[in-house]
Amino acid sequence: MAHRFFRQRSLVEEAAQEVFLKAFTQLGSYEGRGSMEGWLTRIATNTCLNILRAAKRRPELTAADLTEEQNHWLEQELSNAAGALQSAEDKLVAADLADRLLETLSPEDRLALTLIDGEDASVNEVAEMTGWSESKVKVRAFRARKKAREAMERLLGRRVLSRAH
Amino acid sequence: MKQNHIIELLEGGPLSSLSENELRAIGTHTEICPACHQAYEAARISTLLVKERAAETMEPSPFFQTRVLAALREQQANNKVPAFWRLWKTAGALVSSMALTTAALAVLSFVVPGAGAVTTQNAMAESSPYSAEAIVFNQDQNEDQMTDEQLLSVIYADEGEAK
Repeated sequence: MAHRFFRQRSLVEEAAQEVFLKAFTQLGSYEGRGSMEGWLTRIATNTCLNILRAAKRRPELTAADLTEEQNHWLEQELSNAAGALQSAEDKLVAADLADRLLETLSPEDRLALTLIDGEDASVNEVAEMTGWSESKVKVRAFRARKKAREAMERLLGRRVLSRAH
Repeated sequence: MKQNHIIELLEGGPLSSLSENELRAIGTHTEICPACHQAYEAARISTLLVKERAAETMEPSPFFQTRVLAALREQQANNKVPAFWRLWKTAGALVSSMALTTAALAVLSFVVPGAGAVTTQNAMAESSPYSAEAIVFNQDQNEDQMTDEQLLSVIYADEGEAK
């Protein structure tokens, strides 16, 4: 769960440790109504969201921020409309770029997009996981999708248009 | 213009949830509309990236469990210690330094001025507030409070006593 929010191992483990400590402290508050896994997931989600909220959000992603590998990956991806990533290296570059893209979103938008578009979770599942209403989940996912698409459009910019002509 | 084309389809839900008909309609439209083509490509690539990121897995390090158990033990040990002691452990240094500063200020305010009474200047000043020495040494304090006549009379009186 913590890995959905953080990519760096030390941060993931730090967040996971905090989740276990909180769960241990709050064990008495678990009433046994839902599953233990669901209860733990809710704690993990809220803990990770709080850590992300406290961290400084990264600014808008621009083409100048991209590494050579990421630029190459985008070029490759545009010519490969099927969308299948080739090598393990490609996947690593893609995950790096994805992380950079997600960092520009608010923690809540980021979570909604990762769960719904990334993991194919339903709105209802996300609502249960986070404790949000279904409409809030939909709004967050919609907003995140729009922001991510617009950010990517800015990154692609002339590349797509030059290919179209 | 773009908003009226395929944008609602792109943002309404995940791309993977689009039906074949919807995908076909998008494909047909993007062939003739460059702006929508760009929007679709951006949506496709950002979805691909998010999926790729979500597919990434990470195994915890071999020491993770030990670290969590150690942190749990530490937390339990902390909970056994009385609240006042825990507070003292965290804020003790600050409170001690504040107490020391207060004590030092108290000493400086009440004890040191008393000790100063034994110095020659102050002894003279106390014995006769209008003596020549007191006037000369405490000029700043007294010159605003005494008139010229008072000053002269005090100085002459002292000279007379000396003779």
